[in-house]
Amino acid sequence: MLLQLARSLQNNSFIISLNSTAWSAAATEIVHYFSMFVLVGTTAIVDLRVLGVAARTQSPTQLAERLFPWTWAALAFNVLSGFLMFAGDAVVYIPNSLFHAKLITVLFAVAFGIAVQWGVPRWDRLPAIPAWAKILAVASLALWVGAIIAGVEVPALTGVG
Amino acid sequence: MESVLIGFGHWLQTRAFATSIAESDWAYPYVQATHFVGLSLWISTNVALDLSLLGIGNKSESPAKLSSALFVWNWLGLAIAITGGFLLFSVNASMYVTNVAFLTKLGLLIPLGLAMHIFNQWKVREWGLNPEMPVAARIAGLTELVLWVGVASAAVSIPYAA
Repeated sequence: MLLQLARSLQNNSFIISLNSTAWSAAATEIVHYFSMFVLVGTTAIVDLRVLGVAARTQSPTQLAERLFPWTWAALAFNVLSGFLMFAGDAVVYIPNSLFHAKLITVLFAVAFGIAVQWGVPRWDRLPAIPAWAKILAVASLALWVGAIIAGVEVPALTGVG
Repeated sequence: MESVLIGFGHWLQTRAFATSIAESDWAYPYVQATHFVGLSLWISTNVALDLSLLGIGNKSESPAKLSSALFVWNWLGLAIAITGGFLLFSVNASMYVTNVAFLTKLGLLIPLGLAMHIFNQWKVREWGLNPEMPVAARIAGLTELVLWVGVASAAVSIPYAA
């Protein structure tokens, strides 16, 4: 059922022409990389601020208000470009367990990012950032590093992508 | 010139550290991941500065303050990216030194991007005093942004140019 869906996605004429034309395939990849850097980097900076090791001249709230809009805009570009790249080889990605691991890691990382964004203005009103908030921030950082490692391991270990 | 570069490439990729990455079953993806982690810090903090120079986004604090708050992790990100990038380069140096996309990236776009970034980081202390970003700041921010997108484009084009 899922494979059938993948096959029809992969045989879609728009997906075929997008992925088989050099410039559009490259453009999709550029958007995917660039948005990934903005997504991961802005999240990481806020996490590092929550941990008290970055941007200490700003309150976590100030920094988060400045950076999180870019995080979510980048996530949108990243998901869209990622989906287009996935669609071009959907049949190969669907049963790839390393690809599953990557997607699950990204989902958790995004969930932790939402938790940190929700928490930052609340933690900021406390006399000190609570220890569990710092644990959330460490988990968010670790998940994004994990997502990047999973991302590079998909082509390295399975030859897909 | 080309034979000198190729000679250097061969020399570099036969060094012990380069061959050990190339021959390892697991090292190469981790070097790639290191490059990407560094780039995430570097590119995201550059983009944050450039967009603030463009006057886009939350304005509750000045671009000057944002820039100085991000300064350390900005350059730390570049240091990590260069470390990973140099190791990736070393593994296949003789291919990279003749690759047009790579040469454009390293010889043209990165120096321009770096120069523009240093200029912006220096000038933002002056521009950042204005309530609205002056036109020069917007142009400078946009230029840097375009240059980094250009660097990423050249990087993605490396396999296509090989």
